[in-house]
Amino acid sequence: MTTLAVKRNEMAFCPGCSHGMVLERLSEAFDRMNLAPTDVCIVTDIGCVGISDRYLDCHTFHGLHGRSITYAEGIKRARPELTVVVLIGDGGCGIGTAHLVHAARRGIDINVIVFNNFNFGMTGGQHSSTTPVCAQTPTTPAGATDYPFDVCQTVGANGASYVGRFTAFDKDLPDRMEAALRAPGFSLLDTWELCVAYYAERNRLNRKTLTTLSDEMDLPLGELECRRRPQPPSLAVTATGNAVTKTAEPSIALSWAERTEFCVAGSAGQRILSAVGVIGRIAVAGGLYAAQSDDFPITVRRGHSVSNLILSRKAIVYTGVDRTDLLLVLTEDGVRRVKSWQALSTDTLVLAEASLNLPATGARIERIDRKTAEKLVGKTSAALALLSYAIVRGGWLDEDRFRTAAEFGVRGKYRDENLKAIDAGIGLARAGFELET
Amino acid sequence: MPENDLPTGRTIIARGGYAHKKGQDVMREFITGNQAIVRGAVRAGCNFVAGYPITPASSILTEVLRAFADGSGVVVQTEDEIAAIGQCIGASMAGAKVMTATSGPGISLYSENIGLAQMGEAPLVIVDCQRMGPATGGATATGDGDVMFARHVTSGSYPIPVLAATDATTAYRLAYEAFNIAERLRTPVILLSSKAIALTRQTVDLEKVQLSPCVERKAAAPDATFHPYKVDQPGGVPDFAPIGGSQRVRFTGSIHDEEGVLTIERDQIDAKLQRLNTKILAGSDALELVDEDLDDSAETLVISYGLADGAAREAVRQSRDCGAMVSHLTLYSLWPVPAKAIRRAVTPSIKRVIVPELNLGLYVEEIRKLLPGIDVMSIQRIDGGLIEPQRIVSAVTADSPCGCRCGGQSK
Repeated sequence: MTTLAVKRNEMAFCPGCSHGMVLERLSEAFDRMNLAPTDVCIVTDIGCVGISDRYLDCHTFHGLHGRSITYAEGIKRARPELTVVVLIGDGGCGIGTAHLVHAARRGIDINVIVFNNFNFGMTGGQHSSTTPVCAQTPTTPAGATDYPFDVCQTVGANGASYVGRFTAFDKDLPDRMEAALRAPGFSLLDTWELCVAYYAERNRLNRKTLTTLSDEMDLPLGELECRRRPQPPSLAVTATGNAVTKTAEPSIALSWAERTEFCVAGSAGQRILSAVGVIGRIAVAGGLYAAQSDDFPITVRRGHSVSNLILSRKAIVYTGVDRTDLLLVLTEDGVRRVKSWQALSTDTLVLAEASLNLPATGARIERIDRKTAEKLVGKTSAALALLSYAIVRGGWLDEDRFRTAAEFGVRGKYRDENLKAIDAGIGLARAGFELET
Repeated sequence: MPENDLPTGRTIIARGGYAHKKGQDVMREFITGNQAIVRGAVRAGCNFVAGYPITPASSILTEVLRAFADGSGVVVQTEDEIAAIGQCIGASMAGAKVMTATSGPGISLYSENIGLAQMGEAPLVIVDCQRMGPATGGATATGDGDVMFARHVTSGSYPIPVLAATDATTAYRLAYEAFNIAERLRTPVILLSSKAIALTRQTVDLEKVQLSPCVERKAAAPDATFHPYKVDQPGGVPDFAPIGGSQRVRFTGSIHDEEGVLTIERDQIDAKLQRLNTKILAGSDALELVDEDLDDSAETLVISYGLADGAAREAVRQSRDCGAMVSHLTLYSLWPVPAKAIRRAVTPSIKRVIVPELNLGLYVEEIRKLLPGIDVMSIQRIDGGLIEPQRIVSAVTADSPCGCRCGGQSK
């Protein structure tokens, strides 16, 4: 027994407790598989079984109640070659059920041994999620009324590759453990035990009645058939993250007077955030500093969509937008979301869709026609066209500079589409909108 | 044109930009605070991230997914926050450089495991992209409400180094430095960000950011018998051997002796717990990260951190433009309190200190404790909006010796 550092009578478990016996069986299984102590990591958590780590001569990790599965998964992901075994109590299975189910679902190659003695032996024998119905415990004085949690079926139905329910007294337990350890993917052994301090005596449970309990609860002993899952198609994430964007062209330096604050306010689906991002990137490529902050509801396909952009030739230290220079308003959602109408002065140029009713404001107002832009470049590019219109109309950039900067600064999948929208906006600035008066 | 390998999205501008001398290469990008944090983490050698989606931290997870798609690291979306930090601690003890990111509600769920990382001495970087609390609060509203929570998040209030980013550039730098602290001291480190940093896209030039040399946790001698928690001196940090390596490792969240075995011996308990305290506090000078913009003749000192820092910088500039003499201290490290830097900033002529914060005025109390006899004024905002520079300017110039009442308007 190379993995077990001490004899059973040297362990702190109560005389007659099954924990030490199960640890011996586990050590036997490791020996049969010729696993060296440093080939194995035992992960434990809270409960009597949690003190097992000190008796084991291998890597050990002792963590928080019910969370051993999570540590084991992290260890296994970092060290796939390691045999990772979780020793958990029925208490841990209850508080950590989510981890059990999802580790099984992900098929992570860890091995869970449940030291199931049907109660919280460490805290006074209270009922656990596996306590049989009618059982006597300090917290079920009239007998347990809740049905026990079927750990095996749960993980078996959710992706485990090997599941079995045995008693600590089963002679072939090392064989079962070996089978579980060898099975690729998630395995679990629900090992039924006697808690001599509390549960066994109160509920007349002994080696023999463990087997009849199985019949009474209709929780069969032995290996369980796991639900097979179809093989998923192999998926891979494209490594775009480390792709390199390189540009051979020299930069163009954009001239820009002062810190300027733009706000575009419209509705979901108008690609406002993207439009503002495109202008921000052009500015950055042109040597300016930019800061973009967006505002949208968590249900992203409905409601307002607002994006603020600050451009400056100096580094932007304060990213709040308090003195909007340009407010481009495209829809009723946008009108409602802008709270500062009353406070705006003539310093602010408002370009508002012609059909919108605007609240009282001191800002300069000009009207635009969203439909004209939509006809030119489509609904999803209209925001960028109108923002481009606004930048030229407001005198921040002249046509030529803007076009050259865009040519240099617009990249990516939608380059052509975005350049077309910017061109359309510049064209509109020259032609003006035909608005009904 | 430089041909070095650059991370995604980088636009190289060969020559140009107003802020740079002619002929100098500039490499500016337009990225969010969350993207910057991932860049800093990757730069520090982070190779394991587990997380659970939450606004405004979610894009850290997706950004890491792209960064690790070349096989350089492991990224997992877990069933909940408890599993996210649990997997990180497991992986950390198996030798990985780990990070997890969340927001206030997730930090609440991390709490018990942060204590585990402290007790077991697992290096771990935790990013808290703060949002309005308590409870669900405002998922898309910003704030700096977790400054005390971050420090006192675990039972026993054992110290945790806490850093606070002020923008995308410092988010990058501090993510990197957080790893250095975590690895050197074998401790969880919390990096505070905030919605308005996390999701705001800003111009950055990461190549220009000054970083300290990369630190790896000190490895145990390979041949010697390994004692998982043995140290050379009282405030020391134990040498590290990974779970899964050739030396048998014991990790535990229970109070333990130097072998990692539960102990009930008072002297061993005291030694361990004192060490958890002193290993952070004894070398706290080395953990002070600040930016000093001091004026020897200033009567007013603005001390800022996190989101309020941008407004403070702007306010200090405006105040100086209209003749006010004012000093400014930015705190990038909040815990341990950078006491030396704060005292140093209080030059003899300082009569008043102004502390703007995006919370109920939490950290100002720490500064008051440090500076008895000095008038320390708190400026607060908690509704999800930013503190406007104007509020700070008004406070700075209110009693300005030059009698300036222009509030920074007369540029």
